[in-house]
Amino acid sequence: MADNLSRYLDSFKACLEIDSAVKESVSRELYTHLEDKSQELKEKGLSEEEADKVAIQALGSPKLVAQQTYEVHAQGSWQEAFFAALPHLLVTLVLASYYWQNILCLSIVLIATVGIAIYGWHRDKPIWFFPWLGYYLLPVIATGILLIFLPQGWTWLGMLIYIPLALFVLVYIVRQTANRDWLYVSLMFAPLLVIYSWLLTLSPKSGFLSGNLQLVQLHVNAPLIGISFLALAVSTVVFIRARQRWYKAIALLALSTVILASVALASRESIGFWGWLILILSLLAFTAPMWIQAKDNAWRVRF
Amino acid sequence: MNYGRELLKGNTDSLLLYLINCHPTYGYQIIKELEKKSNGYFQFKEGTLYPALHRLEKDKFITGKWQMLANGQQRRYYYVTRKGQQILAKRLAAWQDFSVAIKAIIQPEAT
Repeated sequence: MADNLSRYLDSFKACLEIDSAVKESVSRELYTHLEDKSQELKEKGLSEEEADKVAIQALGSPKLVAQQTYEVHAQGSWQEAFFAALPHLLVTLVLASYYWQNILCLSIVLIATVGIAIYGWHRDKPIWFFPWLGYYLLPVIATGILLIFLPQGWTWLGMLIYIPLALFVLVYIVRQTANRDWLYVSLMFAPLLVIYSWLLTLSPKSGFLSGNLQLVQLHVNAPLIGISFLALAVSTVVFIRARQRWYKAIALLALSTVILASVALASRESIGFWGWLILILSLLAFTAPMWIQAKDNAWRVRF
Repeated sequence: MNYGRELLKGNTDSLLLYLINCHPTYGYQIIKELEKKSNGYFQFKEGTLYPALHRLEKDKFITGKWQMLANGQQRRYYYVTRKGQQILAKRLAAWQDFSVAIKAIIQPEAT
């Protein structure tokens, strides 16, 4: 491949964050176009270097072509948007109907979620599947927490085996998702962030997840928690339907604001200074891919 | 903004569908054919062609397949689907009606 054409395609690929197989196919197609155009110009008497240069100019800025290509491939259909928002809507329904206290109902929802996440993983990771994948990570993390309740001695052994395994799964999933698009990592972690934020509001006075006090708190806050999941569903739909990356990022930022506002409304003084600090740091970590994107864009514009 | 360019922008999908419907073809050939058939009137911005083709493919109006040419090179050929043919027929009919109506207005009446 000629150096100029190769540089153009590298730059195009660097600006385009879509599924890697699609990206390869699109850049290969652009290469064949440049090849044809350059060949035609060479036949007209231009040198190879000049022909490549003119062919590249005719195709236009790689950033612009990548942006237009992204807008086509990154927008999901209404069906995909609905299916992506479905797990959040199911959780909202469970919370609204107070079925979250029914272990059987929760287990069915959890098993279905895990099943759908595994199905999506093996079906080329469609856009709708990332929120389901977020819920799939919930039992992975919850199992780690439950290890605390094992008999003395077994806890350490369990943690020693489980934590590296869970971390491996987590890192592997995050890397695979980030390969597709960093924004999808935020979309995937969004349900975990909502759950985690609400767990922070539970009073620590009677121990983590034990005692009736937390159950009462959860019961009282159920409508606000439901609203958080409903906001999550809405932001997921906006994320899937948006063509431009900035709109997707704004949908996730809006979600963080809703979580912060509803937690503030519900918690009053129960969170405390450190709780707020952890929550704000978590929200910043959640929005990190957007800051990376902004910095990356600024860098690309400059150079 | 250039009115001719605006017209082309509004009808890009129909033109692409029409050309691909005539015979399966690939990106570069589409640009050449468009220029040739319109006597150079339609100067397609090359970079915008592929996103337009991919949008049509996403809407399932066309389908793309990599094919080997006689010289061993591979090109991505596009084919119009049944759904694409149906939408093309509708658009052509609408364009025909529009064109007749415009002509009826701008042409001087026969005495």
